[in-house]
Amino acid sequence: MGKGIGEARIRVPDRIAKGEVIMVNAIITHPMDTGFFRTAEGQPIPAYFIKDVVVTYGEQEVARFEWTSGVSRDPIISFTLRADREATLSMVWTDNKGGVFRQSANISFASA
Amino acid sequence: MSLADEFSRRRFLRAAALASAGLLGSGVLSGGERLLAATAAGDPGDPEVPNEEVARILKKLFGDRPIRRGRVQLDMPAAAEDGRVVPVIIESDLPMTAENYVKALHLIVDFNPDAHLAAYHLTPAMGSVSLSTRIKMKRTTWVRAIAETSSGEVWADYARVQVTLNGCG
Repeated sequence: MGKGIGEARIRVPDRIAKGEVIMVNAIITHPMDTGFFRTAEGQPIPAYFIKDVVVTYGEQEVARFEWTSGVSRDPIISFTLRADREATLSMVWTDNKGGVFRQSANISFASA
Repeated sequence: MSLADEFSRRRFLRAAALASAGLLGSGVLSGGERLLAATAAGDPGDPEVPNEEVARILKKLFGDRPIRRGRVQLDMPAAAEDGRVVPVIIESDLPMTAENYVKALHLIVDFNPDAHLAAYHLTPAMGSVSLSTRIKMKRTTWVRAIAETSSGEVWADYARVQVTLNGCG
């Protein structure tokens, strides 16, 4: 595997009020190869892409994304979350070669 | 392009599509319209189902349920210079409550090698529907964002994106 593949970041707002619907931004380093391209030497580049993303908030699965190699290289995804409790937001990305990549962010409320 | 321009572009495209649908109203159906009729009822201004692959995807996902235009907003550039990185924003004003919510959003790019590009399975815990990502596009085509609610309704929006550089190989 290439250097950096699977490195992921999740960004949530610095200050979150309880019950607020926040925007979560996530990015992961991955080539997302379609399998349709060749190297400069003419060798086919096999399909290599993230196919599944699971988002868990505390113990609750809140979203699941099915991707194909049609998602751009180094995939970004932004989505909303109702921050109704303090808990860990976890994401797991799984690719078609069995690679599993994890990242998490804390949802905590700004003190008044 | 300003938001106002974008809206007027959409109105124009929609009017043009409606006009051509009217011209075809004399009983001559194009192949695409036959495909659409074979899958699910759509609004007159909706993009034609271009091939068997997209027809198969729509049939598999939604069966014979009508795909209504509205309640979903798909925002994409009218022209994408680099088909490797095309921004997509999907929003909806559909409710996200335990009783009724958007359980899935499907992104379909008609002329991509893998037309059913992504499926987003959602829950009420998200609070609203607002997704953004970046996708690859092979060539100029319609893109479909289709939402399925927990009560079984199907709502869609469409965007035609002109692609200059093939992003799929």
